[in-house]
Amino acid sequence: MAAEVAAPISPATPRLGPERPVVWPARHAATLSCGLPVVLVELHNIPKLTVQLLFRSGNAATAEANPGLADMTATVVRTGTATRSGRQIDQQLRRLGADLSTSAGTDSSAIAVSGLTEFARDLLALVSDLARNASFPAEEFERERRNAFEAVRIERTTPGFLAGERLRRVLFDAHPYGVVAPSEAQVEAYRREQLAEFYAAHYSPGNAVLLAVGDFSAPALLVQLEEAFHGWGASSAPEFREQDPPKLRGRRVHLVHLPGTVQTQILTGNRSIPRKHPDWLPLTLANSIFGGAFHSRLVANIREQKGYTYSPRSTAHGMRRLGYFSISAAVRNDVVAATLTEIFYELDRMRALAVSAEELADAQAYMSGVFSLGLATQDGLAGQLAGVYLNNLPEDTLETYREKIRALSGEEVLAAARSYLDSANTQIVVVGDEAQIGAQAALFGEVQVYDAQGNMRGPA
Amino acid sequence: MQKLQIPVETQTLANGLRVVISPEHTAPVVTVGVYYNIGFRLEPRGRSGFAHLFEHMMFQGSENAGKMVHIKLVNSSGGVLNGSTRYDVTNYFEAVPSNALERVMWLEADRMRALRVDEENLRNQRDVVKEEVRMNVFNQPYGGFPWLDLPPIANRNWANAHNFYGDFSDLDAATLDDVQNFFKTYYSPNNAVLLLLGDVEPEEGFSLARRHFEPIPAGPPVPAADVSEPPQTEERRGEVEEKFGTLPAMAIGYHAPARRSPDWHAAAILDQALHGGRAGRIYRSLALEKEIAVDTEGGIHYPLGDVFDYNGPIQMVTRILHKPEHSSEGTLQAFDRVIAEVQEHALGADELEQVKIKFRSDFYSSIEGGMGGYMPRFGLMHHLACFTLFDNDPTLLNSALDGFLEVTPEQVQSLAQRMLVPQNRAVVFRRPVAKSATAPAEAAIEGAA
Repeated sequence: MAAEVAAPISPATPRLGPERPVVWPARHAATLSCGLPVVLVELHNIPKLTVQLLFRSGNAATAEANPGLADMTATVVRTGTATRSGRQIDQQLRRLGADLSTSAGTDSSAIAVSGLTEFARDLLALVSDLARNASFPAEEFERERRNAFEAVRIERTTPGFLAGERLRRVLFDAHPYGVVAPSEAQVEAYRREQLAEFYAAHYSPGNAVLLAVGDFSAPALLVQLEEAFHGWGASSAPEFREQDPPKLRGRRVHLVHLPGTVQTQILTGNRSIPRKHPDWLPLTLANSIFGGAFHSRLVANIREQKGYTYSPRSTAHGMRRLGYFSISAAVRNDVVAATLTEIFYELDRMRALAVSAEELADAQAYMSGVFSLGLATQDGLAGQLAGVYLNNLPEDTLETYREKIRALSGEEVLAAARSYLDSANTQIVVVGDEAQIGAQAALFGEVQVYDAQGNMRGPA
Repeated sequence: MQKLQIPVETQTLANGLRVVISPEHTAPVVTVGVYYNIGFRLEPRGRSGFAHLFEHMMFQGSENAGKMVHIKLVNSSGGVLNGSTRYDVTNYFEAVPSNALERVMWLEADRMRALRVDEENLRNQRDVVKEEVRMNVFNQPYGGFPWLDLPPIANRNWANAHNFYGDFSDLDAATLDDVQNFFKTYYSPNNAVLLLLGDVEPEEGFSLARRHFEPIPAGPPVPAADVSEPPQTEERRGEVEEKFGTLPAMAIGYHAPARRSPDWHAAAILDQALHGGRAGRIYRSLALEKEIAVDTEGGIHYPLGDVFDYNGPIQMVTRILHKPEHSSEGTLQAFDRVIAEVQEHALGADELEQVKIKFRSDFYSSIEGGMGGYMPRFGLMHHLACFTLFDNDPTLLNSALDGFLEVTPEQVQSLAQRMLVPQNRAVVFRRPVAKSATAPAEAAIEGAA
């Protein structure tokens, strides 16, 4: 029993002192004349600032026809504009003491820069240029496409990637969330014009929010922002097309065969709820108790008691439209069945029995405290703000987070576990050597075998 | 440009424990670190990987905080914790709401005073560490490359040349006696520094340090160790099989100047000019212009650390993944042309200026955060710990940038000519063994536009 892993608490343990209130840094929200909403927060801890221009369109927007196109677009955006070559952009970044990241996730794309405050005006001008005038030079596109092709090939030898890709496909199938990465052939099929089209349709002030956190005066930076983005024209993003995800009944095993592996990547999951769902906080609190923290039940059991794995973890993934709950562990090959047994034991315990008052209070303190830690750095604070604005959450989401977590009851946690930790219909992905783990995996449901390219091999 | 003015106060307790406090009260959060002046360089022979296994054992229980209690008490106070093992230091750290400061100091003092672990804990963590190694090294494309591959080829002193993650036979051979001996030898207050950063008043912090840490008896002086490398006279090369990855890879390591030696500042500027992102000369030439490499990365103490946090022989490392249609030798020749450039011509004024600005900006970021943003002041803690353990002066932090910003083009060129020579380097090739299921498709790629 995992509950017995922890030793008793000594009476000599110092008590916690009185809690100091978290004082929220002032937030300045405005809309520029071009229609771009901006949110500014001063944080004077180092003489730098972080600026994130976020677009509410990511890889899901093109998953049906061109998986990964948002990623490819973001990669090439930084390689040239109407007035700057890729080399000039790279050198200017260095001159501004800046790091630039252009990227895309499932639901969003980002142009993010962090640099020295003394060059704030030039940094904003560069972000604006990249957002408005990217030229997608043909040579740069060809080079980046080849690099993406090689990266895709290496991804397909990486157990963690293969597990995540398979689980998303199983849980979401034809829905755009069912595809996380392109195939080699799909990368080869990208056309420069497709990138330019995606950019024209989605990199638009009406589809964006800009977050700035750092060592600046907000009123002064607002003036510089208006100057940098003045005249940016709007376009309207195409409607998001989606199909219903599949109905999943019963446990099934999805084995991705990777010959010669000395360890098995286990990843189980079920569909749950999107980030904006009212049950999101009870679900994340249940997750924290189950396997989302170092002191959680899953870690105590399969790591600290049994030594099956270094890296057990459960996660509630809240995307914009749908969500899922997952449990991952990389384990030695001979304990695949033993690990799955413990995972389902802990899942069923979480659904069947109420958490104790002590366990609930510990988890509430943990989530409340860790939330505060994430506000102490520029990137951490920008990340919290991004979650709010990309998901259109209420304005006071961050300010009320701690009190809402502390107000949750054991009954609410139990109800969330029963609704969203769907033990009976959990999908089981294992990535490893079929000869070593196939028989163990088959103990948990009908097995479907795939190769690393995603091709089905027929029932085992 | 403003000068750094980070408040740093320091005291040494009667048992030799140094205490460093840097107050800053914006958020009610405090970061606590304990650094021991022992890394994987000095683990016992026949016990490769032991320093890291021992780090795991430090989370297994102490006299007043048994198994999982340390973790539970930190998490349930609203905090996070971890530890790590590097060449020359092992650290343990927590970030917590500041009302948990005394609790965390009590926990750290308890395990500095009296580690209490048993055979069951050791067996458990040996299994956990083996899965860590399998996950990070044996079951990943390019796992352990190049941080585990380069040292055995580049170095001759066992301290610098062995498997730092540990051979499984050595991990199996480790005993509880080894654990207690290592603890007694290296984990004494006089071989450590305690750091408190953030929402803490210095008087209170020093007072709590005296209450909880001063009763711990000082240990015997730590035995002297020779980690020096014998002079190298010719290039060293080696090969390692790549089991999963599809691209050939190589790493080149040059022995770098000792920390705070006369060439140290120039070495950091040279490093930034070569490895500083997409504008750095190596990525610019190999990946962007010649399109030989798919990716390049590198730096002094890459990928485990930086120019500030080593205290013995270290290398400036370049890691290259290149396209299969380019040979290893051809790729290495292209790399060598980049090196020849910085030897034949001094950096231009504009490039030097850019490199210095970026170095300064990176240094500020290193102070702010780290660990993905969830561990506030991790970098500040790390800098202060290294300046204390290696130099006995944490206040060096506030002037740390000065020397780098004064480096001249001539100093960089002179160092490049002396340091970036074949007899000062090692090269390791990581070659894919498997023919990939898909044939190389560059023809299709190139014809597609």
